[in-house]
Amino acid sequence: MAKLKLEVNGESLGVEAAETALLLDALREGLGLTGTKRGCETSHCGACTVLLGGVAVHSCVVLAARCEGKEITTVEGLSRDGELNELQRLFLKHGALQCGYCTPGMLMAATALLRRNPKPSLEEIKVGLDGNLCRCTGYTGIFEAIQACALSGK
Amino acid sequence: MERKLVRPHSMDEALSQREQHGMDALPIAGGQSLLVMLRNKLIDPKILLDLESIGELRGLQRQSSGVSIGAMTTFFDLLSSTDVQSAVPLLGQAAAKVGSTAIRNLGTIGGNLCHNEPGADLPPALLVLNASVELRSRKATRKVTLTEFFRGFFETAVAPEEILSRVEIPILPQGARGAYIKHAISPEDLAIAGVAVMLVPDENKADAVGELRIGLGGVAPVPFRAAKAEAAVNGKVLNDDAIRAVAEIAASEAEPMSDPHASADYRRKMIKVLVRRAIAAAMERAERNGHGKA
Repeated sequence: MAKLKLEVNGESLGVEAAETALLLDALREGLGLTGTKRGCETSHCGACTVLLGGVAVHSCVVLAARCEGKEITTVEGLSRDGELNELQRLFLKHGALQCGYCTPGMLMAATALLRRNPKPSLEEIKVGLDGNLCRCTGYTGIFEAIQACALSGK
Repeated sequence: MERKLVRPHSMDEALSQREQHGMDALPIAGGQSLLVMLRNKLIDPKILLDLESIGELRGLQRQSSGVSIGAMTTFFDLLSSTDVQSAVPLLGQAAAKVGSTAIRNLGTIGGNLCHNEPGADLPPALLVLNASVELRSRKATRKVTLTEFFRGFFETAVAPEEILSRVEIPILPQGARGAYIKHAISPEDLAIAGVAVMLVPDENKADAVGELRIGLGGVAPVPFRAAKAEAAVNGKVLNDDAIRAVAEIAASEAEPMSDPHASADYRRKMIKVLVRRAIAAAMERAERNGHGKA
C-alpha cells in the first residue's frame, strides 16, 4: 500500500491506496468523492472524466500515484458554497441530461474544453466531448448548454 | 503479491530495472492502453515501470536532418506542435485521429508504437514518413527502422532489457505530400482499416510520381508498407487507372483478420477505397499548396 497526498478541488487530501491504484478508485473508494462515476473502466465512456492539471483525463486509466503534486478537479469542485456554477446551471436550463450518469463527465470535459478554447465552434465542442458517451437523450441539449456557456463568458 | 510501482527519475535507473527484471518490469508510458490491458487481466507484470519522470524522454526537437521526438510525447503535443505542423504535418493529422480528447491528452507516441495494437493510427503515418526508433539498454543503443520494428500481433522488436527512447523522422523530400485516412465505426475507435500515403513528385517529369509510399494499419497482424503496390507506380503518371491498379495491389498485400468490428473481406475491400481516397487527398494537397513542404 502507498500513502498518497492528492490536491483535489483545492484541498490537500491524504489517501491510502495500492501502489498501482487508479485515480478513479482513489477518488471514489479512498476519498468518497462519488460524483466521478465508474462506467466502462476501459476509457470509452468518459463517465469518470476529471481534470488533471487542467486537462480532461479518464480517471479509470490514470495511476493515482502519478497525480501527486498535480491539481485535480472533480465535479464536486465546480459548485461554490452550494451554488451551481454557470455551466451546471445551463445544463439544467437546456435539459442536457436524463438519467444523469454521464453528466459529471460531460461537465468536466466541457470545463476542460472551455479552458483551452473559450469560444469553441460546434465542431470543436463535438471534438472536445468525443471521449464522453450519453446513452439516454443524445447530445443536442449538452451542445446547446456549452454554446450558451461560451456566449455568457462566465 | 501486490504489484509494485517503480518511478525512476533517470534513464539509467529505468534501464537498470529492465536489466534486472526484464519482462517483469513493464514500462508504462501514458497508460491509456496498458491500464485497460491490466484491468482486463490480459497482462500481469510484477512491476510497473513508470517513465513519466524521465526528462529526456520528453520533448520534440527539429534538427537539420529531421525531427526527433521523445517517447513520452503525447498525441496532444504532436497535434498542437508548430514544428510537427511545418515539418511533418502528416504525423499531426494522424495524432488528431487517435482515440478521444482524454486519450490524446495522456497517450504517447512511444506507448502507441510499443503496444502495437492493430488499427492504431500513428504506425501507418510513421511508416510512410520512413521513421525509425531508438531502443536503449544499459549496454547499447540501437536504431531500428519502423518496418523492422513491428514483429507480430502486439509484438515489437523491443527486447526485455530495452526501452524505446525516441522516434526519429528524416526530413521529407521537396514537394512530398501526405494523407492519412481512417475508417472506423465511430471516430474514437481503432481503425478497421487505416491508410497513410506519401506522394513524392518526380523532379524531372512534372506529372509523374517519383515515389509513392503506402502504409496500412488494421489489416494484418502488423502495420506494414505495401511494397508491391509502391513499386508498381513509381516513375509513372498517376491517372485514374494507375490509382485503381495500385489500390488493387495494396489490398492483395493485406492479411486482414475478421473480428466483431469487420470481416476480413470487408477490410480488404476498404483498403481499395481508402488507398484511392488517400492518394486523391495527397494530390489535392499538392495542388493546393503548390511546391513546398509536405
